[in-house]
Amino acid sequence: MRPIALAALLVFLAASSVPADETCMSPYMPKLTGQEDYVYVWTLGVDGLGDGSDKLVTVGANPAAPDYGKVVSSTSVGGRHEAHHGGFTEDRRHLWLAGIDDGAIFVFDVAADPAKPKLVKTITTFEKDSKLAGPHGFYALPGRMLVPGLSNATHRDGRTGLAEYNNDGEYIRTVWMPNDAPYGYDARVQPRLNRMLTSSFTGWKNYMRPLGELMADPEAMKQFGNTMVVWDYHARRPLQILTVPGAPLEIRWALQPRHDYAFTAAALTAKLWLIEAQPDGTFAASAVADVGDPQKTPLPVDISLSADDRYLFVATFMDGTARVFDVSDPHRPRVVHEQQIGRQVNMISQTWDGERVYFTSSLLSNWDKTGDDDEQFLKAYRWDGATLTRLFALDFTAEKLGRPHHMHFGQKRFYANQLASVAVSDGGGS
Amino acid sequence: MRATAALVAAATLVAALAGAAAAADRPALRPEDVSYTYGAAPFAPAFTPPPPGSYELPPIDTVADHAVLDADGTETTLAAVIGDRLAVVSFIYGSCAEAAGCPVSTAALHRLDRLLAADPALAREVRLVTVSFDPARDTPARMAAMRARHAPRSDWRFVTTRDAAMLQPLLDDFGQGISELRYPDGTPTGVFRHVLKVFLLDRRRRVRNVYSVGFLHPELVLNDLRTVR
Repeated sequence: MRPIALAALLVFLAASSVPADETCMSPYMPKLTGQEDYVYVWTLGVDGLGDGSDKLVTVGANPAAPDYGKVVSSTSVGGRHEAHHGGFTEDRRHLWLAGIDDGAIFVFDVAADPAKPKLVKTITTFEKDSKLAGPHGFYALPGRMLVPGLSNATHRDGRTGLAEYNNDGEYIRTVWMPNDAPYGYDARVQPRLNRMLTSSFTGWKNYMRPLGELMADPEAMKQFGNTMVVWDYHARRPLQILTVPGAPLEIRWALQPRHDYAFTAAALTAKLWLIEAQPDGTFAASAVADVGDPQKTPLPVDISLSADDRYLFVATFMDGTARVFDVSDPHRPRVVHEQQIGRQVNMISQTWDGERVYFTSSLLSNWDKTGDDDEQFLKAYRWDGATLTRLFALDFTAEKLGRPHHMHFGQKRFYANQLASVAVSDGGGS
Repeated sequence: MRATAALVAAATLVAALAGAAAAADRPALRPEDVSYTYGAAPFAPAFTPPPPGSYELPPIDTVADHAVLDADGTETTLAAVIGDRLAVVSFIYGSCAEAAGCPVSTAALHRLDRLLAADPALAREVRLVTVSFDPARDTPARMAAMRARHAPRSDWRFVTTRDAAMLQPLLDDFGQGISELRYPDGTPTGVFRHVLKVFLLDRRRRVRNVYSVGFLHPELVLNDLRTVR
């Protein structure tokens, strides 16, 4: 691979996503089944666009409602923090959202009024508490939040770890990544096996730098991760370091019983990797498919596995394309559908039934495309097992909202605790 | 066997509620209305928990003391019930038949009770406490009957509260959210939606672990007790 192509890959690789889709959320948290009413979109503020602040945007997602495909509410958090990812608490009543620039964490109550989440707490001490930087995601544990970092507060390079907070927002501890695999990105638990997998990206110094500047710094371009770590989850003890070249990002454990494996996509090399339990209880990593043409640097940035472990959706940022792999045989994924979503695409969220799939466009504020290619959207599709059919699209620039990134689903019935067989139109609580 | 029993109980409950709903011209309660979905399959641990003392359980939170009623109806406090012991505190309601709810929690405590009985030295340091969050139906007498059914071999207490006013501060402090499923006309179904939670407390009432669906493994709880003793 030519150095420039590699540099470009490394750069774009950084933005990525932590899973928001219903099939890839913490196994300790109740899932939404049936029709979602809202998509919550954590959105980066853009200078000169609207109020310019990061914001949580609530979009109507129920075709039976008059607000379908429209902005229902928008709550700014004040300022720009490099809004990136978020996650619900284990009871799904609060949504934690973070900025990976200054580490600010915003806690929204989504239960009181699912149509208009309310900011109830701001945690500004993440770096001081944990010594980490770049809170990348929020993974619900019973009574706690697991917060994988991207960087550290001292040097702001790629050495990082996993922070834990209780549900009141009080810091508990930091578990650092092993010295031989210092980078971090995603963290996912398979409780049935008491195993946690972590993946690796790069530090604050790299992901916050303007793209051109980073690409011109060959030393900085070497500072990306090529490893995954297998942990004893309960003991928080690293057991194995797996070599997975090319910055393995999102991790998706299979959901079906006896499916003791996970997938990841290595962004730089555009390959799908299978991380599979061996008969002796250890894990092995193997590259099982290319994503598009790796020579064209498509940059797979998000993946989503269906609840039946059959389909793996892969979004590639550079060509704005969604590819659907049939992974019924996890050792031999095959592409069954390919469709361009936009000029750039980043996050994927699919519903628990796998029938609806949502996409957003933004990677990082300094890495998104420019000019006409800088499309910023939320798009909804129906997946029928063969093709993706557009349901609606919302232009976040025209709406003066910003750059849409992470998505989560909301449902009035879930919080109202009323029976599904009757339409709940007022969101009234019990 | 217990999973099967829980499913049968759930089906029975749903059938009963469906009958009641039909009588009142209300929509039938379906299994998906009752139970949360956590994953594509029930939690079936396939691992050996790490050895006691090979890991740390840093305090997650500290809980205050709260008034409760013991199984003979005497008003006391949770701290008094626990005494100077480690505690495993489980929140349930007696009418629950959710496949991933109280039956799972109570079966796990039952198993833990038997494991503790096999380690008398540890058992002397531990109290299991089952707390009802349904004071209207789970009277002290019902809690006593519940305890009798399990015939504890370790020190396993069953407590309830007098009413919602006594209950709510306890639930808030532990972070045990509950909400009652209602018919569209607002009538309670008698079914609570709740995330199953079991708490491990040390002698200073610090929460050292929280267990929920996908994590409630009696042998693991036993090792945690041995780790924090």
